[in-house]
Amino acid sequence: MSPITVEELAGLMKQAAGVSVAPQDLQQQYDSGFDALGIDSLGLLGIVGELENRHGTSMPPDAERCKTPRQFLDLVNSTLMAGA
Amino acid sequence: MSAAHERRAAITGIGVVAPNGTSTDTFWKATQEGLSALDRITREGCEHLPLKVAGEVRDFEPAAVIEERFLVQTDRFTHYAMAAADLALDDARLGKADSETAPYSIGVVTAAGSGGGEFGQRELQRLWGKGSRFVGPYQSIAWFYAASTGQISIRRGFKGPCSVVAADEAGGLDALAHAARAVKRGTDAIVAGSTEAPLAPYSMVCQLGYEELSTVAEPDRAYRPFTDAACGFVPAEGGAMVVVEADDAARARGAEVRGFVAGHAATFTGASRWAESREGLAQAVRAALDDAGCAPEEVDVVFADALGVPEADRAEALAIADVLGAHGRRVPVTAPKTGTGRGYCAAPVLDTAAAVLAMEHGLIPPTPNVHDTVHDLDLVTGRARPAELRTALVLSRGLMGSNSALVLRHAATDRA
Repeated sequence: MSPITVEELAGLMKQAAGVSVAPQDLQQQYDSGFDALGIDSLGLLGIVGELENRHGTSMPPDAERCKTPRQFLDLVNSTLMAGA
Repeated sequence: MSAAHERRAAITGIGVVAPNGTSTDTFWKATQEGLSALDRITREGCEHLPLKVAGEVRDFEPAAVIEERFLVQTDRFTHYAMAAADLALDDARLGKADSETAPYSIGVVTAAGSGGGEFGQRELQRLWGKGSRFVGPYQSIAWFYAASTGQISIRRGFKGPCSVVAADEAGGLDALAHAARAVKRGTDAIVAGSTEAPLAPYSMVCQLGYEELSTVAEPDRAYRPFTDAACGFVPAEGGAMVVVEADDAARARGAEVRGFVAGHAATFTGASRWAESREGLAQAVRAALDDAGCAPEEVDVVFADALGVPEADRAEALAIADVLGAHGRRVPVTAPKTGTGRGYCAAPVLDTAAAVLAMEHGLIPPTPNVHDTVHDLDLVTGRARPAELRTALVLSRGLMGSNSALVLRHAATDRA
Protein backbone atom coordinates (compact mmCIF):
# COMPACT_ATOMS: atom_id res chain seq x y z
CA MET A 1 0.00 0.00 0.00
CA SER A 2 1.39 3.39 -0.91
CA PRO A 3 1.67 6.09 1.75
CA ILE A 4 -0.56 9.14 1.94
CA THR A 5 1.16 11.98 0.15
CA VAL A 6 1.12 15.69 0.83
CA GLU A 7 -0.95 16.04 -2.33
CA GLU A 8 -3.56 13.65 -1.00
CA LEU A 9 -3.66 15.45 2.35
CA ALA A 10 -4.11 18.80 0.60
CA GLY A 11 -7.03 17.30 -1.35
CA LEU A 12 -8.59 15.96 1.83
CA MET A 13 -8.23 19.31 3.58
CA LYS A 14 -10.13 20.93 0.74
CA GLN A 15 -12.81 18.26 0.57
CA ALA A 16 -13.43 17.72 4.27
CA ALA A 17 -12.73 21.15 5.71
CA GLY A 18 -12.96 23.58 2.81
CA VAL A 19 -9.36 24.72 3.28
CA SER A 20 -7.39 25.27 0.08
CA VAL A 21 -3.63 24.94 0.44
CA ALA A 22 -1.38 24.09 -2.51
CA PRO A 23 0.65 20.91 -1.84
CA GLN A 24 3.96 22.76 -2.12
CA ASP A 25 2.75 25.33 0.42
CA LEU A 26 1.58 22.56 2.71
CA GLN A 27 5.04 21.02 2.40
CA GLN A 28 6.48 24.30 3.63
CA GLN A 29 3.97 24.45 6.48
CA TYR A 30 4.66 20.88 7.49
CA ASP A 31 5.19 21.81 11.12
CA SER A 32 2.53 24.51 11.33
CA GLY A 33 -0.47 23.75 13.49
CA PHE A 34 -3.61 22.55 11.74
CA ASP A 35 -5.38 25.39 13.54
CA ALA A 36 -3.14 27.93 11.83
CA LEU A 37 -4.04 26.32 8.51
CA GLY A 38 -7.75 26.77 9.30
CA ILE A 39 -8.47 23.11 10.15
CA ASP A 40 -10.44 22.74 13.37
CA SER A 41 -10.85 19.52 15.33
CA LEU A 42 -14.01 18.50 13.44
CA GLY A 43 -12.25 19.17 10.15
CA LEU A 44 -9.41 16.84 11.13
CA LEU A 45 -11.92 14.24 12.28
CA GLY A 46 -13.54 14.46 8.83
CA ILE A 47 -10.16 13.93 7.16
CA VAL A 48 -9.53 10.86 9.33
CA GLY A 49 -12.99 9.47 8.51
CA GLU A 50 -12.46 9.94 4.79
CA LEU A 51 -9.06 8.20 4.95
CA GLU A 52 -10.59 5.30 6.85
CA ASN A 53 -13.31 4.93 4.24
CA ARG A 54 -10.87 5.13 1.33
CA HIS A 55 -8.46 2.61 2.78
CA GLY A 56 -10.97 0.39 4.52
CA THR A 57 -8.99 0.45 7.72
CA SER A 58 -9.23 2.15 11.11
CA MET A 59 -6.85 4.89 12.10
CA PRO A 60 -5.53 5.07 15.65
CA PRO A 61 -7.46 7.41 17.98
CA ASP A 62 -4.43 9.69 18.13
CA ALA A 63 -4.78 10.53 14.43
CA GLU A 64 -7.47 13.11 15.12
CA ARG A 65 -5.36 14.62 17.89
CA CYS A 66 -2.33 15.35 15.70
CA LYS A 67 -1.30 18.97 15.78
CA THR A 68 0.65 19.27 12.51
CA PRO A 69 0.63 17.79 8.99
CA ARG A 70 3.99 16.11 9.69
CA GLN A 71 2.72 14.40 12.86
CA PHE A 72 -0.44 13.37 11.06
CA LEU A 73 1.21 11.90 7.97
CA ASP A 74 3.83 10.10 10.07
CA LEU A 75 1.13 8.49 12.19
CA VAL A 76 -1.33 7.51 9.46
CA ASN A 77 1.40 6.27 7.15
CA SER A 78 3.00 4.12 9.82
CA THR A 79 -0.47 2.70 10.53
CA LEU A 80 -1.12 1.99 6.86
CA MET A 81 2.34 0.48 6.36
CA ALA A 82 1.92 -1.73 9.41
CA GLY A 83 -1.37 -3.04 8.06
CA ALA A 84 -0.07 -3.52 4.51
CA MET B 1 -18.93 52.66 32.90
CA SER B 2 -20.01 55.99 34.25
CA ALA B 3 -23.05 56.62 32.12
CA ALA B 4 -25.16 59.36 33.65
CA HIS B 5 -28.28 57.80 32.24
CA GLU B 6 -29.42 54.33 31.32
CA ARG B 7 -28.04 53.21 28.01
CA ARG B 8 -30.49 53.10 25.13
CA ALA B 9 -30.37 50.25 22.63
CA ALA B 10 -29.92 51.78 19.21
CA ILE B 11 -30.06 50.06 15.84
CA THR B 12 -26.99 51.16 13.89
CA GLY B 13 -26.89 48.60 11.10
CA ILE B 14 -29.34 46.53 9.06
CA GLY B 15 -28.48 43.53 6.89
CA VAL B 16 -31.15 41.75 4.85
CA VAL B 17 -31.04 38.58 2.78
CA ALA B 18 -34.68 38.09 1.83
CA PRO B 19 -36.79 36.64 -0.97
CA ASN B 20 -37.48 40.16 -2.26
CA GLY B 21 -33.92 41.45 -1.97
CA THR B 22 -30.46 40.33 -0.93
CA SER B 23 -29.34 43.74 0.24
CA THR B 24 -31.07 46.21 2.49
CA ASP B 25 -31.56 48.64 -0.39
CA THR B 26 -33.14 46.14 -2.76
CA PHE B 27 -35.29 44.77 0.08
CA TRP B 28 -36.61 48.22 0.92
CA LYS B 29 -37.24 49.10 -2.72
CA ALA B 30 -39.30 45.94 -3.24
CA THR B 31 -41.03 46.34 0.13
CA GLN B 32 -42.10 49.94 -0.34
CA GLU B 33 -43.26 49.20 -3.87
CA GLY B 34 -45.32 46.30 -2.59
CA LEU B 35 -43.75 43.79 -4.95
CA SER B 36 -44.45 40.16 -4.15
CA ALA B 37 -41.62 37.63 -4.33
CA LEU B 38 -43.91 34.68 -3.63
CA ASP B 39 -43.62 32.04 -6.29
CA ARG B 40 -43.80 28.34 -6.96
CA ILE B 41 -41.20 26.39 -5.03
CA THR B 42 -38.38 25.30 -7.35
CA ARG B 43 -36.07 23.59 -4.88
CA GLU B 44 -34.93 20.13 -5.96
CA GLY B 45 -36.79 17.24 -4.39
CA CYS B 46 -39.77 19.37 -3.39
CA GLU B 47 -41.82 19.15 -6.58
CA HIS B 48 -44.16 16.39 -5.39
CA LEU B 49 -45.02 17.95 -2.02
CA PRO B 50 -48.41 19.59 -1.44
CA LEU B 51 -46.78 22.85 -0.31
CA LYS B 52 -46.42 24.74 -3.59
CA VAL B 53 -45.74 28.41 -2.89
CA ALA B 54 -43.10 30.08 -0.74
CA GLY B 55 -40.64 32.95 -0.61
CA GLU B 56 -37.36 31.58 -1.98
CA VAL B 57 -34.13 33.55 -1.84
CA ARG B 58 -32.93 33.20 -5.42
CA ASP B 59 -30.48 36.03 -5.90
CA PHE B 60 -27.84 34.75 -3.49
CA GLU B 61 -24.58 32.90 -4.16
CA PRO B 62 -23.08 31.82 -0.81
CA ALA B 63 -19.61 31.13 -2.27
CA ALA B 64 -19.39 34.72 -3.43
CA VAL B 65 -19.60 36.09 0.11
CA ILE B 66 -18.61 33.30 2.56
CA GLU B 67 -15.25 31.54 2.81
CA GLU B 68 -15.30 27.88 1.78
CA ARG B 69 -14.18 26.58 5.15
CA PHE B 70 -17.29 28.17 6.71
CA LEU B 71 -19.51 26.94 3.89
CA VAL B 72 -18.57 23.27 4.26
CA GLN B 73 -19.50 23.22 7.93
CA THR B 74 -22.78 25.12 7.78
CA ASP B 75 -26.33 24.84 6.50
CA ARG B 76 -28.02 27.32 4.22
CA PHE B 77 -29.70 29.03 7.21
CA THR B 78 -26.26 29.89 8.57
CA HIS B 79 -25.05 31.07 5.14
CA TYR B 80 -27.88 33.60 5.21
CA ALA B 81 -27.00 34.56 8.78
CA MET B 82 -23.31 35.13 8.07
CA ALA B 83 -24.11 37.14 4.95
CA ALA B 84 -26.78 39.24 6.69
CA ALA B 85 -24.44 39.84 9.64
CA ASP B 86 -21.74 41.10 7.28
CA LEU B 87 -24.23 43.47 5.64
CA ALA B 88 -25.41 44.75 9.02
CA LEU B 89 -21.88 45.26 10.31
CA ASP B 90 -20.85 47.04 7.09
CA ASP B 91 -23.93 49.23 7.39
CA ALA B 92 -22.98 50.06 10.99
CA ARG B 93 -19.36 50.60 9.91
CA LEU B 94 -18.22 48.15 12.56
CA GLY B 95 -15.14 46.57 11.08
CA LYS B 96 -12.38 44.16 11.89
CA ALA B 97 -10.39 46.87 13.64
CA ASP B 98 -13.21 47.45 16.14
CA SER B 99 -13.59 43.78 17.07
CA GLU B 100 -9.84 43.19 17.23
CA THR B 101 -9.40 46.12 19.58
CA ALA B 102 -12.26 45.09 21.87
CA PRO B 103 -13.48 41.56 21.02
CA TYR B 104 -15.47 41.25 24.25
CA SER B 105 -17.49 44.34 23.47
CA ILE B 106 -19.44 42.65 20.65
CA GLY B 107 -21.75 39.65 21.01
CA VAL B 108 -24.23 37.71 18.87
CA VAL B 109 -27.86 36.70 19.45
CA THR B 110 -29.88 34.77 16.90
CA ALA B 111 -33.24 33.05 16.96
CA ALA B 112 -33.95 29.87 15.03
CA GLY B 113 -37.12 27.90 14.59
CA SER B 114 -35.84 24.98 12.58
CA GLY B 115 -32.05 24.85 12.33
CA GLY B 116 -30.16 23.29 9.44
CA GLY B 117 -32.62 20.84 7.90
CA GLU B 118 -31.01 20.59 4.48
CA PHE B 119 -27.54 19.77 5.83
CA GLY B 120 -29.07 17.32 8.28
CA GLN B 121 -31.06 15.57 5.57
CA ARG B 122 -27.94 15.08 3.44
CA GLU B 123 -25.99 13.55 6.32
CA LEU B 124 -28.87 11.34 7.46
CA GLN B 125 -29.22 10.06 3.91
CA ARG B 126 -25.54 9.10 4.07
CA LEU B 127 -26.15 7.38 7.38
CA TRP B 128 -28.94 5.20 6.02
CA GLY B 129 -27.54 4.87 2.51
CA LYS B 130 -23.88 4.15 3.23
CA GLY B 131 -23.41 3.82 6.97
CA SER B 132 -22.33 5.82 9.98
CA ARG B 133 -18.74 6.10 8.76
CA PHE B 134 -19.94 8.31 5.95
CA VAL B 135 -21.60 10.94 8.14
CA GLY B 136 -19.42 14.05 8.24
CA PRO B 137 -18.41 15.41 11.65
CA TYR B 138 -19.90 18.83 10.90
CA GLN B 139 -23.33 17.23 11.15
CA SER B 140 -22.78 17.59 14.90
CA ILE B 141 -22.99 21.37 14.66
CA ALA B 142 -24.50 22.41 11.33
CA TRP B 143 -28.10 21.34 11.93
CA PHE B 144 -28.21 22.85 15.39
CA TYR B 145 -30.29 25.93 16.22
CA ALA B 146 -27.23 27.57 17.76
CA ALA B 147 -25.06 27.21 14.64
CA SER B 148 -25.59 30.71 13.29
CA THR B 149 -24.70 32.47 16.52
CA GLY B 150 -21.58 30.34 16.92
CA GLN B 151 -20.36 30.71 13.36
CA ILE B 152 -20.88 34.49 13.26
CA SER B 153 -18.99 34.77 16.53
CA ILE B 154 -16.10 32.58 15.32
CA ARG B 155 -15.91 34.07 11.85
CA ARG B 156 -15.92 37.67 13.02
CA GLY B 157 -13.99 37.15 16.25
CA PHE B 158 -16.77 38.40 18.53
CA LYS B 159 -16.24 37.27 22.11
CA GLY B 160 -18.97 39.22 23.86
CA PRO B 161 -22.12 37.57 25.23
CA CYS B 162 -23.56 35.14 22.71
CA SER B 163 -26.88 33.35 22.88
CA VAL B 164 -29.64 31.70 20.92
CA VAL B 165 -33.38 31.88 21.23
CA ALA B 166 -34.73 28.51 20.11
CA ALA B 167 -38.38 29.33 19.67
CA ASP B 168 -41.30 29.94 17.43
CA GLU B 169 -41.62 32.88 15.09
CA ALA B 170 -41.97 35.34 17.96
CA GLY B 171 -38.45 34.35 19.03
CA GLY B 172 -37.14 36.73 16.39
CA LEU B 173 -38.42 39.67 18.43
CA ASP B 174 -37.26 38.05 21.67
CA ALA B 175 -33.72 37.86 20.23
CA LEU B 176 -33.76 41.59 19.50
CA ALA B 177 -35.01 42.28 23.01
CA HIS B 178 -32.31 40.03 24.44
CA ALA B 179 -29.74 42.01 22.47
CA ALA B 180 -31.15 45.28 23.82
CA ARG B 181 -30.87 43.97 27.39
CA ALA B 182 -27.26 42.86 26.82
CA VAL B 183 -26.43 46.33 25.56
CA LYS B 184 -28.08 47.97 28.57
CA ARG B 185 -26.09 45.67 30.85
CA GLY B 186 -22.84 46.93 29.38
CA THR B 187 -21.93 45.19 26.10
CA ASP B 188 -21.34 47.81 23.42
CA ALA B 189 -22.91 46.00 20.49
CA ILE B 190 -24.81 42.82 19.66
CA VAL B 191 -25.33 41.44 16.19
CA ALA B 192 -28.88 40.15 16.47
CA GLY B 193 -31.60 38.69 14.33
CA SER B 194 -32.69 35.55 12.58
CA THR B 195 -32.44 33.73 9.30
CA GLU B 196 -34.11 30.46 8.36
CA ALA B 197 -33.92 27.95 5.53
CA PRO B 198 -37.06 25.80 5.72
CA LEU B 199 -37.32 25.08 1.98
CA ALA B 200 -35.75 21.67 1.53
CA PRO B 201 -37.54 18.31 1.31
CA TYR B 202 -37.12 17.16 4.91
CA SER B 203 -37.84 20.61 6.31
CA MET B 204 -40.90 21.00 4.16
CA VAL B 205 -42.31 17.64 5.18
CA CYS B 206 -41.94 18.73 8.80
CA GLN B 207 -44.14 21.73 8.07
CA LEU B 208 -46.90 19.80 6.32
CA GLY B 209 -48.47 18.98 9.66
CA TYR B 210 -49.17 22.65 10.38
CA GLU B 211 -52.85 23.18 9.82
CA GLU B 212 -52.12 26.90 9.32
CA LEU B 213 -49.97 26.20 6.24
CA SER B 214 -51.40 27.33 2.91
CA THR B 215 -51.26 24.76 0.13
CA VAL B 216 -52.82 27.07 -2.43
CA ALA B 217 -50.77 26.83 -5.62
CA GLU B 218 -51.30 30.34 -7.03
CA PRO B 219 -48.61 32.70 -5.72
CA ASP B 220 -50.91 35.74 -5.63
CA ARG B 221 -53.65 33.86 -3.75
CA ALA B 222 -51.70 31.68 -1.34
CA TYR B 223 -51.20 34.17 1.53
CA ARG B 224 -53.85 36.83 2.03
CA PRO B 225 -54.31 37.61 5.71
CA PHE B 226 -57.16 39.82 6.95
CA THR B 227 -59.25 39.05 3.84
CA ASP B 228 -62.23 36.77 3.40
CA ALA B 229 -59.93 34.64 1.23
CA ALA B 230 -57.42 34.03 4.04
CA CYS B 231 -56.22 30.44 3.63
CA GLY B 232 -53.15 30.18 5.83
CA PHE B 233 -49.55 31.30 5.46
CA VAL B 234 -46.70 30.43 3.15
CA PRO B 235 -43.17 29.93 4.48
CA ALA B 236 -40.05 31.82 3.48
CA GLU B 237 -36.32 31.57 3.79
CA GLY B 238 -33.66 34.19 4.47
CA GLY B 239 -34.01 36.89 7.10
CA ALA B 240 -32.22 39.81 8.64
CA MET B 241 -29.56 40.70 11.15
CA VAL B 242 -29.21 44.07 12.82
CA VAL B 243 -26.56 45.72 14.95
CA VAL B 244 -28.04 46.67 18.30
CA GLU B 245 -25.64 49.10 19.92
CA ALA B 246 -25.51 51.24 23.02
CA ASP B 247 -26.37 54.79 22.00
CA ASP B 248 -23.35 56.17 23.87
CA ALA B 249 -21.01 53.65 22.18
CA ALA B 250 -22.50 54.52 18.79
CA ARG B 251 -22.10 58.23 19.37
CA ALA B 252 -18.54 57.78 20.65
CA ARG B 253 -17.49 56.24 17.35
CA GLY B 254 -19.58 58.59 15.24
CA ALA B 255 -22.00 55.92 14.04
CA GLU B 256 -25.43 56.83 12.75
CA VAL B 257 -28.36 55.74 14.92
CA ARG B 258 -31.15 54.41 12.71
CA GLY B 259 -33.72 53.71 15.39
CA PHE B 260 -34.17 52.51 18.96
CA VAL B 261 -35.38 49.24 20.42
CA ALA B 262 -37.59 50.86 23.02
CA GLY B 263 -39.75 48.14 24.53
CA HIS B 264 -40.61 44.46 24.37
CA ALA B 265 -42.75 41.85 26.03
CA ALA B 266 -43.72 38.26 25.35
CA THR B 267 -46.54 35.98 26.44
CA PHE B 268 -47.58 32.40 25.76
CA THR B 269 -51.07 31.15 25.01
CA GLY B 270 -50.57 27.64 23.58
CA ALA B 271 -50.13 26.03 20.19
CA SER B 272 -52.72 26.95 17.55
CA ARG B 273 -55.07 28.41 20.16
CA TRP B 274 -55.67 31.46 18.05
CA ALA B 275 -58.73 32.81 19.88
CA GLU B 276 -56.67 32.90 23.07
CA SER B 277 -53.84 34.68 21.27
CA ARG B 278 -56.05 37.80 21.36
CA GLU B 279 -55.51 38.15 25.08
CA GLY B 280 -51.86 37.02 24.92
CA LEU B 281 -50.95 39.40 22.15
CA ALA B 282 -52.82 42.28 23.81
CA GLN B 283 -50.95 41.66 27.05
CA ALA B 284 -47.62 41.56 25.18
CA VAL B 285 -48.43 44.88 23.52
CA ARG B 286 -49.48 46.48 26.82
CA ALA B 287 -46.32 45.37 28.55
CA ALA B 288 -44.09 46.36 25.63
CA LEU B 289 -45.62 49.85 25.53
CA ASP B 290 -45.14 50.09 29.28
CA ASP B 291 -41.52 48.97 28.91
CA ALA B 292 -41.03 51.71 26.30
CA GLY B 293 -42.82 54.38 28.34
CA CYS B 294 -45.08 54.78 25.35
CA ALA B 295 -48.77 55.71 25.39
CA PRO B 296 -51.03 53.71 23.03
CA GLU B 297 -51.86 56.85 21.01
CA GLU B 298 -48.17 57.34 20.24
CA VAL B 299 -48.07 54.24 18.04
CA ASP B 300 -47.84 55.49 14.45
CA VAL B 301 -47.79 52.17 12.61
CA VAL B 302 -48.33 48.50 13.39
CA PHE B 303 -46.46 45.74 11.56
CA ALA B 304 -48.92 42.93 12.03
CA ASP B 305 -48.24 39.25 12.57
CA ALA B 306 -50.83 38.55 9.85
CA LEU B 307 -50.98 34.78 10.01
CA GLY B 308 -53.64 34.47 7.33
CA VAL B 309 -55.87 32.12 9.32
CA PRO B 310 -59.30 33.75 9.81
CA GLU B 311 -59.51 33.01 13.54
CA ALA B 312 -55.95 34.25 14.10
CA ASP B 313 -56.47 37.37 11.99
CA ARG B 314 -59.60 38.19 13.97
CA ALA B 315 -57.75 37.70 17.25
CA GLU B 316 -54.97 40.01 16.12
CA ALA B 317 -57.35 42.74 14.95
CA LEU B 318 -59.20 42.52 18.27
CA ALA B 319 -55.95 42.57 20.26
CA ILE B 320 -54.91 45.78 18.51
CA ALA B 321 -58.30 47.31 19.34
CA ASP B 322 -58.16 46.02 22.92
CA VAL B 323 -54.92 47.85 23.65
CA LEU B 324 -55.02 50.88 21.37
CA GLY B 325 -58.75 51.56 21.82
CA ALA B 326 -60.23 54.01 19.30
CA HIS B 327 -56.68 54.70 18.09
CA GLY B 328 -56.55 51.05 17.02
CA ARG B 329 -59.06 51.71 14.26
CA ARG B 330 -57.11 54.72 12.98
CA VAL B 331 -53.52 53.57 13.25
CA PRO B 332 -52.14 52.28 9.94
CA VAL B 333 -51.52 48.53 10.00
CA THR B 334 -49.35 46.79 7.45
CA ALA B 335 -48.04 43.31 6.70
CA PRO B 336 -45.30 43.47 4.07
CA LYS B 337 -44.57 39.80 4.77
CA THR B 338 -47.41 38.91 2.37
CA GLY B 339 -44.84 39.70 -0.31
CA THR B 340 -42.08 37.55 1.13
CA GLY B 341 -43.79 34.79 3.08
CA ARG B 342 -43.19 34.00 6.72
CA GLY B 343 -39.63 33.05 7.49
CA TYR B 344 -40.55 31.73 10.94
CA CYS B 345 -38.23 33.46 13.47
CA ALA B 346 -36.85 35.59 10.66
CA ALA B 347 -40.26 37.05 9.79
CA PRO B 348 -40.54 39.57 12.64
CA VAL B 349 -36.88 40.54 12.24
CA LEU B 350 -37.54 41.41 8.60
CA ASP B 351 -40.56 43.37 9.83
CA THR B 352 -38.30 45.18 12.28
CA ALA B 353 -35.90 46.06 9.44
CA ALA B 354 -38.85 47.28 7.38
CA ALA B 355 -40.17 49.30 10.34
CA VAL B 356 -36.86 51.10 10.88
CA LEU B 357 -36.62 51.82 7.14
CA ALA B 358 -40.25 52.99 7.12
CA MET B 359 -39.54 55.45 9.96
CA GLU B 360 -36.44 56.72 8.14
CA HIS B 361 -38.29 57.23 4.86
CA GLY B 362 -41.60 58.38 6.35
CA LEU B 363 -43.33 55.75 4.26
CA ILE B 364 -45.51 52.82 5.31
CA PRO B 365 -45.01 49.90 2.93
CA PRO B 366 -48.17 48.15 1.73
CA THR B 367 -49.45 44.59 2.13
CA PRO B 368 -48.89 42.81 -1.22
CA ASN B 369 -51.63 40.58 -2.64
CA VAL B 370 -54.15 42.00 -0.16
CA HIS B 371 -56.70 44.43 -1.56
CA ASP B 372 -59.29 44.79 1.19
CA THR B 373 -59.90 43.60 4.71
CA VAL B 374 -62.85 42.12 6.52
CA HIS B 375 -61.56 43.40 9.87
CA ASP B 376 -61.89 46.80 11.50
CA LEU B 377 -58.35 47.85 10.66
CA ASP B 378 -56.78 50.61 8.59
CA LEU B 379 -54.75 48.13 6.56
CA VAL B 380 -52.25 49.72 4.16
CA THR B 381 -52.76 48.08 0.77
CA GLY B 382 -51.93 48.90 -2.82
CA ARG B 383 -49.21 51.49 -2.49
CA ALA B 384 -46.98 52.84 0.25
CA ARG B 385 -48.50 55.57 2.40
CA PRO B 386 -46.46 58.63 3.41
CA ALA B 387 -46.63 59.33 7.14
CA GLU B 388 -44.53 60.85 9.88
CA LEU B 389 -43.50 57.82 11.91
CA ARG B 390 -41.91 58.18 15.31
CA THR B 391 -43.05 54.92 16.91
CA ALA B 392 -43.60 51.54 15.30
CA LEU B 393 -45.09 48.44 16.89
CA VAL B 394 -44.03 45.03 15.53
CA LEU B 395 -46.16 42.00 16.39
CA SER B 396 -45.36 38.34 16.10
CA ARG B 397 -46.98 35.07 17.03
CA GLY B 398 -45.65 31.56 16.74
CA LEU B 399 -47.47 28.42 15.74
CA MET B 400 -46.50 26.92 19.09
CA GLY B 401 -48.17 29.71 21.03
CA SER B 402 -45.67 32.51 21.65
CA ASN B 403 -46.79 36.12 21.31
CA SER B 404 -44.33 39.01 21.23
CA ALA B 405 -44.47 42.76 20.72
CA LEU B 406 -41.57 45.09 20.04
CA VAL B 407 -41.71 48.90 20.20
CA LEU B 408 -39.30 50.79 17.96
CA ARG B 409 -38.65 54.51 18.11
CA HIS B 410 -37.38 56.80 15.39
CA ALA B 411 -33.72 57.81 15.59
CA ALA B 412 -34.70 61.42 16.26
CA THR B 413 -36.63 60.55 19.44
CA ASP B 414 -33.91 61.57 21.86
CA ARG B 415 -34.70 61.52 25.50
CA ALA B 416 -35.40 64.96 26.92
